Amino acid sequence: MAADSPEALKKQLKLYAAIGGCLFIGTILTVAVAVVPALDFGDRGFSQGDLVIGLLIASVKASLVMYIFMHLNHEKKLIYLIYGMSGFFAICLYFLTKLSFIDPIKYVGFFTGGE
Amino acid sequence: MSASTSHDHHDHHEPNFLQKYVFSTDHKTIGIQYGVTALLFIALGFYLMMVMRWSIAYPHEPLPEWMSWVFTEEWRGRWLQDGKVTGETYNMFGAMHGTIMVFLGVVPLGFGAFGNYVMPLQIGAPDMAFPKLNMMSFWLYFVGGAMMVASFFLESGAAKSGWTNYPPLAQIADSQFVNQLFTGQTQWLLGMVFLISSSLLGSVNVIVTMVNLRAPGLTWFRMPFFCWAMLVIAFLLLLAFPPLEVAAIMQVMDRLTGSSFFMPSGLYTASAGALDVSGGGSPLLYQHLFWFLGHPEVYVLLLPAIACVAEIIPTNTRKPLWGYKSMVWGVMVLGFLSFIVWAHHMYLTGMGPMVSSFFQVTTVLISVPSVILLTSLLISLWGGSIRFNQPMMWAVAFIPMFGIGGLTGLPLAFNLADLHLHDTYYVIGHFHYVVAPGILFGLFAGIYHWYPKATGRHMNNFLGHLHFWPSLIFINLVFFPMLIQGMAGFHRRWYNGGDAYLEKAADGVNVFGLTVLEKIDLNILMSTSAWFLAAAQIPFIVNFFTSWKTGKKVENDNPYDATTLEWATPTPPGHGNFETLPEVYRGPYEYSRPDHDEDYYPQWHEPAVAKKEETADL
Amino acid sequence: MNEKILDEIPYIVNPRKDTGLFNSKIGIWLFLASEVMLFGGLFSGYIFLRVYADYPWPERVLPILPGLVNTFILIASSVTVVFAWAMLKLGKWNMFRLFMGITIACAAIFMGFKVVEYKAKFEHQGVRLADYTILEGHLHAADVDSHGHIVHDSHGHDAHGEGHDAHKGHDDHGNKEATTVHTSVNNIIFDAKKLTFDLTKVDEKYLETILEQAATHDAKVTFSKDVFSQSEPGVKPVKIISAGDELSYEKLIAAKEAFVAARTHNAAERTAELRRLWKESKAENEGVAGWKQAQDIAIDTDKLALVPAKSSISATVEPHISFVFAPQKVKSYNASSLTRKDGTMVVGSLQKSPMELGIDAVDFTFLVQQAEEMGIDPDDAVEKAWILSHSPAVKAAWEEHKKHVAAIDEAYFQEALKKTDGDEEKAREIANHVPEVEKYRMTWKDLVRYGSHGEINLQWYDGFKGANHKNEEWAAHFPDISIPREQIAFESKFTPRWNNYYAIYFTITGLHGLHIIGGAIVLGYYMFCPNMFRKNPTWLANRVEVAGLFWHFVDLVWIFLFPILYLM
Repeated sequence: MAADSPEALKKQLKLYAAIGGCLFIGTILTVAVAVVPALDFGDRGFSQGDLVIGLLIASVKASLVMYIFMHLNHEKKLIYLIYGMSGFFAICLYFLTKLSFIDPIKYVGFFTGGE
Repeated sequence: MSASTSHDHHDHHEPNFLQKYVFSTDHKTIGIQYGVTALLFIALGFYLMMVMRWSIAYPHEPLPEWMSWVFTEEWRGRWLQDGKVTGETYNMFGAMHGTIMVFLGVVPLGFGAFGNYVMPLQIGAPDMAFPKLNMMSFWLYFVGGAMMVASFFLESGAAKSGWTNYPPLAQIADSQFVNQLFTGQTQWLLGMVFLISSSLLGSVNVIVTMVNLRAPGLTWFRMPFFCWAMLVIAFLLLLAFPPLEVAAIMQVMDRLTGSSFFMPSGLYTASAGALDVSGGGSPLLYQHLFWFLGHPEVYVLLLPAIACVAEIIPTNTRKPLWGYKSMVWGVMVLGFLSFIVWAHHMYLTGMGPMVSSFFQVTTVLISVPSVILLTSLLISLWGGSIRFNQPMMWAVAFIPMFGIGGLTGLPLAFNLADLHLHDTYYVIGHFHYVVAPGILFGLFAGIYHWYPKATGRHMNNFLGHLHFWPSLIFINLVFFPMLIQGMAGFHRRWYNGGDAYLEKAADGVNVFGLTVLEKIDLNILMSTSAWFLAAAQIPFIVNFFTSWKTGKKVENDNPYDATTLEWATPTPPGHGNFETLPEVYRGPYEYSRPDHDEDYYPQWHEPAVAKKEETADL
Repeated sequence: MNEKILDEIPYIVNPRKDTGLFNSKIGIWLFLASEVMLFGGLFSGYIFLRVYADYPWPERVLPILPGLVNTFILIASSVTVVFAWAMLKLGKWNMFRLFMGITIACAAIFMGFKVVEYKAKFEHQGVRLADYTILEGHLHAADVDSHGHIVHDSHGHDAHGEGHDAHKGHDDHGNKEATTVHTSVNNIIFDAKKLTFDLTKVDEKYLETILEQAATHDAKVTFSKDVFSQSEPGVKPVKIISAGDELSYEKLIAAKEAFVAARTHNAAERTAELRRLWKESKAENEGVAGWKQAQDIAIDTDKLALVPAKSSISATVEPHISFVFAPQKVKSYNASSLTRKDGTMVVGSLQKSPMELGIDAVDFTFLVQQAEEMGIDPDDAVEKAWILSHSPAVKAAWEEHKKHVAAIDEAYFQEALKKTDGDEEKAREIANHVPEVEKYRMTWKDLVRYGSHGEINLQWYDGFKGANHKNEEWAAHFPDISIPREQIAFESKFTPRWNNYYAIYFTITGLHGLHIIGGAIVLGYYMFCPNMFRKNPTWLANRVEVAGLFWHFVDLVWIFLFPILYLM
């Protein structure tokens, strides 16, 4: 693999350091958004806006780790398959479970004597 | 190749006894360890069931000596009431029967034993990809199982809240004991964490082995169906078990640290009053996490049996497996769908019509690949010159038995019917038809089939018949009446078989028009059959152990004239399995090919036309 | 191709051609896939517990700084671990060891901070009052004398970190009357005359609490009756305990053994009798259903050779003294009797058993939620809260807090007014406002600010571990209160028991911590494999790469954990 040659590796090292820097900045950003009133998204305190922005930053950071540190930017097909599969089923677990919480049987009218 | 080639041509230092038989890293030894341990656990699970069946058939009579001699006097004083099985003891045995059979018996036998022993041979690998992990996997399983069994001897007894361990019942079980760590329920959960770790290591190993260690020429679609099934099982275990691990860890937290993951607010019990917990948790969350594993687990149980049968049928009909490719695709679809059907176990939890319909549809959908598998096996028999040897008898019996199990499941897939049948003996009958006469028959077929390869000796044919025919008869007498009783409304957790119900409502009629009073006498028939069924296993035990040393020797490395790679090894296979690296030239089931002289054409035989230079000497 | 030795496993070092991967790389990715499901399950659990919680979910309650520092540390370790791997690829063994060393050090520091965080929570006390007010704080310690009075000596208020159970209390070794038990003031104090032990559940630690406290107060606990051991009728009973013998664990165990032996004998006798009865009944009533026959079968115990089996044993306390019992170890109590979790029943009288707390947070959000559910005006409900009428300091702080909140709301309103050109109704609609979690909750920083009249204004980075009672400047503004037992609905340290937020926090971070430890051990092990580096550097690099993948995954989990646990 060309990526394994010494020159390429040395180049990679710089990239790794840069990514590390990005992660640091991302972390600071997450905290800043949460604690600095001027940067507060949406309503005062924790709200949906903060949730979205917080998870967004976290996702970006996570993607950087996956693509660069975990070499998912140049990986074999099989690995993507495995990774995709687990991601898919984790989402299944979440959404299908959620579905049954959202849609419970409500005994309106018949059992409660009409309300 | 001679059958008894010694296999010491490498100058390795000889492993000592411990390394060779106990802490072995050889996949074959581990496979046999798994098999024997699992069979012992199945025997234990069977025994627990016999005690339960006594309680069901004769709830007011003391347990007879021939069953209770196992217990110490002290244990009897603690757990039996005047010698009778109490509700508490029945619950304990019921919960542990289910757990042992599913997690400690059938899965390790199917996936652990057959997956370990046969799969690497069939793909021409020298061993599993990670032999040490493989050993660890077995020992984690062993420790987990030992923990669960040891909990029988605790003051609290073993787990008593059903094999599913639903909170809040399971949560507050044994709460009267000071040391929550040493209660049956906590030990169950911790044991489960061990078992999950074990199957995790096992499944990683199997997948990697299959991906990377296939012999040259063994492309994916030249792999025997058995290997495909193992691959799918491994993925099921890999991805479905972690949510159960989460559930187990959370329940352990609830028990040991007093958290309320699964404890709703304001819970009140008759014995303890309002519970001193913070509340706010959700029992339903546990059920979701549990059944996310629970349903794929069903296919983890089932697929090894189908896999064994799919190997045995072509060998003994001398015909290719019918619809090999559709079976492979079928098993993959089956594996996929099994992840999204779990809530059909939960129709009674108050899910709304939208969710119920979704899971109803997926549940019915999953019967399509199941039927593809079963039909392919059935059609494979058509027009074959069938050799009715021991494995074939079990394999053929598997098909209708599993068919009954599968078809009786259909009413349960439908929400409306399930509301009436939920938690009745109908459900018990249904899944036992799948598991006992279905899966266990398939696995017995596998044992009889590969026994000569593993030990170098044949099993005794007469004892085999003595095992098969009574088993077939009695197992049906045990389980078929369950379907009838279930329709009469027999509840699965009646420890006294319905007697108490009769005293209260002798003439209560179920929606299906049957009454408990009419069907209660079936209890005695079923229980008696269960004991005869136990007796019918004695020939097998004798056969299994005596044939190991005294059975008829295997003359030929390929005694069945089979085509798959495991028959290319010496008998029994030595360390490293193959004497020369096998190469694969064709598909797995090349029987009765018109262009070939013999009626079988093994995968490893070089084609006569395009003959390469000799490789055997190298 | 055919030359390789057959019992050696291929593709350990070099990738297989068609898959392009070596074995352990596939293995680790499969393992990570299952880890995704594991943490996926936990995250789903987190979301469900939060979304469907029927109590106010604690938001942003953890001190951010330790989490932030730990995030930095973990990111740094993720960078150094790829560096280490790259150095190995470049053949620089020493550089590899350096970077790997830094990685391991990062892991150690990370776990160190975790310990600090956990410890702070285990020492922090929460209590939910009967009116759903939630108080947080530190328990005070004091001495309890033999009459059950709480004696505050000079160090009575210096209670940090001493929220231990009563049996860990000790008597004063000074020369003064050494008859007090030093303990945190959160115990059930019970004046005991008689103890009854459940022999099936005798527990040494539970017993020790009683023995130690009795010894401290110079009281004697003695058995009230003789106990005999008799395993069969006809055999002369052996006296194992005489009335007046001193209570001890060994004696209780002896009594337990005698009970079990007697129970065993009786069970065997009764079983034999029942068998006989059934045999007779079956001979007489052929064809009659079992459940009908059973109605006429009853064991006549008078005819049987049974021995007495008693599962409990009593002892008296002379002179009777007050015991302190940790509430977690008490199953139930009323004015005249108390049952501990090991089944020991104590007869006597309940003493005043208050909880003394240095309050560092007052939270009315649960109260407000309950009031809203019942259709009561939340502000009215808060004004009627028990704590406001019983603690002037809390009352004063609360008044300040209301002003503070009103001022912010007013500022938002004015701001909105500008946007709507003076339309008040519209402005009220769009104006930002203080959310309920902030409005109805006074944090420890609020208490310090109000108490010091704004002189100390604490920022988000103050207080690394949260409220620190050792800092006298801060602690001076934490109101003290004595809460009567009947006001306490639920109390716990900030452990998983307190609520499901802490439960999931401890579960996920605990599991994550275990992953850190496991990963660090594996990575650290490679630092001591110079031989492998010399013989087969590619293999070692593969191993480091694979372990590194795991390490990055652990980092990745933390990247999500930090915001959802600390910032949301």
